[in-house]
Amino acid sequence: MTLMPEFELARPRDVGEAIAARHEHAGSRFIAGGTDLLVQLRHGIDRPDVLIDLSAIEELGKITSGPGGARIGAGVSIAALARDATMAANYRAVKEAAEMIAAPGHRAMGTVGGNLCLDTRCIFYNQSEWWRRANGYCLKHRGDVCHVAPQGQRCHAAFAGDLAPALLALGAEVEIAGTKGRRRMPLGDLYVEDGRAHLTLSEHELVVAAHLPPDPPPSAYSKVCVRGAIDYPLAGVAVALGMNEGVVKSLQIALTGTNSRPFVLSGTDAMVGRPIDEAALQAIERLVQKQVQPMRTTNASAHYRRLAAAALARRLTAALGIGSRPDAAVSAVR
Amino acid sequence: MSADPTAGAKRPGVPLIDGIEKVTGRARYTADLMHADALVGRIFRSPFSHGEIVRLDVSKARAVEGVAGIVTGTDCPHGYGVLPVAMNEYPLARGRVRYRGEPVAAVAAIDAKTAEQALELIEFEVRELPAYYTSEEARAPGAIPLHDDKPGNLEREVHHHFGDVSRGFAEADLVREERISCAEINHAQIEPHACLADYDPMSGRLTMQSVSQVGYYLHLMLARCLEMDTSRIRVVKPFIGGGFGARVEVLNFEIVTALLARAASGKVMMQLTREENFLTHRARPQTDIRLKLGMRRDGRITACDCEVVQRGGAYAGYGIVTILYAGALLQGLYDIPSIKYDGYRVYANLPPCGAMRGHGSVNTRHAFECLLDRMARDLGLDPFAVRRANLLRAPTRTLNDLMVNSYGLEECLERVESASKWRARIGKLPRGKGLGMACSHYVSGAAKPIHWTGEPHAAVNVRLDFDGGITALTGAADIGQGSSTMVAIAVAETLGVSIERVRVVAADSMVTPKDNGAYSSRITFMVGNAAIDAARKLKAILIEAAARKLEARPEDIECGEAFRVGHGAQSSLPFAEIVKEALVDRGPITVSGAFTCPPEAQGGKHRGGAVGSTMGFSYAAQVVEVDVDEATGVVRVDKVWAALDCGHAINPLAVEGQIEGSVWMGMGQALSEETRYVEGLPLHASLLEYRVPTSAESPAIEVQIVESHDPYGPFGAKEASEGALAGFPPALVNAVANAIGIDMDELPVTPDRIVEALVERRRRARLATAQRAAS
Repeated sequence: MTLMPEFELARPRDVGEAIAARHEHAGSRFIAGGTDLLVQLRHGIDRPDVLIDLSAIEELGKITSGPGGARIGAGVSIAALARDATMAANYRAVKEAAEMIAAPGHRAMGTVGGNLCLDTRCIFYNQSEWWRRANGYCLKHRGDVCHVAPQGQRCHAAFAGDLAPALLALGAEVEIAGTKGRRRMPLGDLYVEDGRAHLTLSEHELVVAAHLPPDPPPSAYSKVCVRGAIDYPLAGVAVALGMNEGVVKSLQIALTGTNSRPFVLSGTDAMVGRPIDEAALQAIERLVQKQVQPMRTTNASAHYRRLAAAALARRLTAALGIGSRPDAAVSAVR
Repeated sequence: MSADPTAGAKRPGVPLIDGIEKVTGRARYTADLMHADALVGRIFRSPFSHGEIVRLDVSKARAVEGVAGIVTGTDCPHGYGVLPVAMNEYPLARGRVRYRGEPVAAVAAIDAKTAEQALELIEFEVRELPAYYTSEEARAPGAIPLHDDKPGNLEREVHHHFGDVSRGFAEADLVREERISCAEINHAQIEPHACLADYDPMSGRLTMQSVSQVGYYLHLMLARCLEMDTSRIRVVKPFIGGGFGARVEVLNFEIVTALLARAASGKVMMQLTREENFLTHRARPQTDIRLKLGMRRDGRITACDCEVVQRGGAYAGYGIVTILYAGALLQGLYDIPSIKYDGYRVYANLPPCGAMRGHGSVNTRHAFECLLDRMARDLGLDPFAVRRANLLRAPTRTLNDLMVNSYGLEECLERVESASKWRARIGKLPRGKGLGMACSHYVSGAAKPIHWTGEPHAAVNVRLDFDGGITALTGAADIGQGSSTMVAIAVAETLGVSIERVRVVAADSMVTPKDNGAYSSRITFMVGNAAIDAARKLKAILIEAAARKLEARPEDIECGEAFRVGHGAQSSLPFAEIVKEALVDRGPITVSGAFTCPPEAQGGKHRGGAVGSTMGFSYAAQVVEVDVDEATGVVRVDKVWAALDCGHAINPLAVEGQIEGSVWMGMGQALSEETRYVEGLPLHASLLEYRVPTSAESPAIEVQIVESHDPYGPFGAKEASEGALAGFPPALVNAVANAIGIDMDELPVTPDRIVEALVERRRRARLATAQRAAS
């Protein structure tokens, strides 16, 4: 309950106005649900003079679908996404990820765009001003040392959004609006492996939608947390697995919570044409263990997050591989 | 959540008398009080773990327009603390700071923004001293004492020895020793700390409204620290959103706010942030336990040797009581022929620990019940059989001279064993699923009060006036546990009148009689008895009046909503008529009831022997069913069966709620709650990082109420709010062992700890295979 800093609130009616407002006020920030930003403001991490409230922009609030796939507006609430029939029918991982985010109150307020652009998190960063000052600040904000890896040159704060891996596994693109108009790019290109600046958006740009390609393979999402609600993922995994006559046609695995960005696991192409058997599952576990880079940014150990991410990847792949849902009884345990 | 909410007690319960106000949002908590005209208080806290104060300059802060008052350690030279023998803390640091977050100065200003601006301008320098964050560091040779009079950073050592321990171990068929540790936890009550202090410079009076569970102690401490006469102070407790021990000692922010109100000659509202709540702390300490038990082949315990080290934080608080409880309450649950206890309460540069639900008993009980299970396994005995081999027979006195007057543990065991279908299911569950059980107990009020005044342990006044309304006045703090409802029921049942006729006024020092407060589960037992005593006195007056009106002998009169002679309906008068008669000549009636624990209930003569003493112990047994995910380490609690012997359920509905709450809080400690610090800074100081279970983790809890009819309890009642907590963590750890064959020695049992334990087991198995192959 630290004091909320004073700010002006702008409420643009369309994306153009929003971009213009952002351009006009150098110290401004976009705000949608505010579930991430308002906590930061109360922690004194940011002091924007102007908040640009995106909630009145109609375009951002819609999910549309057709033969070309689905378009999810960045202003769609997490709760609405979790309820959406298209997601439930075709993009299961997205629905599951949305359902698992935080708690009902957060899902009602939080948005797709907010979750995709969620700030990276670290136990040395998500603290009050008093706390961070007493600790000499950190590389991510106002300081010059990363307390997680004091010898290193970069910030290791971890990305912990749930939607990004689900969308990545399904091959999503993001639509971005800026002063020069709109552009589309693969969602993976939105992120870089740097906890201090993990988004590639330029200063005045805004994510306006995510696009999902048509005819997706079956997919699933799961994460590990200490509690069944509220917590950010210690590790989260989305798997999209297409099978053809008992062998893998396509396999995409994406992760969150373990690195400064969500990312698609590389090396799964090698599974194409093979069955999902014990050897394949072990190979997947090895790939995950090798590629995730959890650091001591959470209260749970990095070692645990590495093992849990691998275990989840195995479990989801196994479940999709035998054509049942992940909650069905499968031999997911070694 | 049980099928029959009043199972065991065949009476309907009464919804809490303040329940409607709470669920409709009408209830006003401290932060809801009218404070439009109040200044805003803020505290400047030490960013250092340990240091001598070199400079504290508040002049720039004082110069800020809108600042009405600033106080520092120089404004209060009086130490404070809940135990008269250990008042080693100042409301605002003097000379030294001993933990990060310790209050150093405070500001009252016209608004929050101004107050925060002023805090920014406070200049504070210390000469840093070495800081210690673990018991080992603090006890290491050469460590600088946090308090000059406490060498070795030991606040208190306890060495108790009852019976012949060496003979006991010699007679045992099995001796096993374990080291078990429990993380520090916090109450995490939902309502953050707040208080409103109003000082009137004209009259020199102070009114303090606070979240306190102990208004009387607050009253005394305010008088001491502000050098005020107690008669000029009024302490009021508004609605409270949870206590659990967080507020059973006077807290620094309460005194600080009063100091600010006087400095500013006005009214100051202080509302702490969640982070500040965690810094204020006063909860269950990180504890290391070494426990050795001797057992005969039939499960009979022959000896117990227990060493407990508690990391108590920077100041004394309740620490001496906590380390004494940890040893004393090894007894009173089972019949143990010999016990050796060594307790060490250690100072460290962290927020001070204090009392928390199940005070002192929970962590040692956890170790004890885990070890009992492991020894049962070694001997091929059923966990229930081991407990049954060691039951007490009431009435009796324990080795350390605690009274056991009623004992429903045997029935608790039977109830949960049968409800959980234990015998049919244990050992037959699929891999990953497990059952575990454990027992626990707790005191119904400390028989020896902290402040010895010679007064009764509790007093209740009951008023009756022309309107026929009966008003019970009690100083007891209802903190959500339902104590005001209990008083209403006690008065109504004693008089035989409808509960709607009874009103309760609680916890306002101007009108209610002094009460020691809501701690050690004392209220039902002590205040309940005092309420019955007062109601009986009123009843005698009313019966006398009825006898006059009905022209009958007093012993033939039946008291109630109507007064009758004998059982006949022929001569009957309504309550209102009898009130009129009773008020003739004497006017409005006020009677006082009291309750006192006799000296023989106040514990043994050995040093510290008073701690643990009580007129009645509650007893509990529970069975926990878990599902362990070996891939992710997540433990899910599928179901809990809990039985509690509360003597007599005065309000079965409230008892059921308290048992569920105890189980649930024990679940938090068992599964997910823990504090963590980095160089004395809390990594857990939010409800995101301090992981209280959510509704998603809440299992079905089947509650069984057992009634052993205590000879001294009010209507036979004992405590019902704490006893069922301590059994949960060991029952869960025992269930995990049953599910995956791993004994977890550390609380909480978080997913990472489970996975690390599984990895370790696989590593050892590989090693063993390799060794076999090599040989």
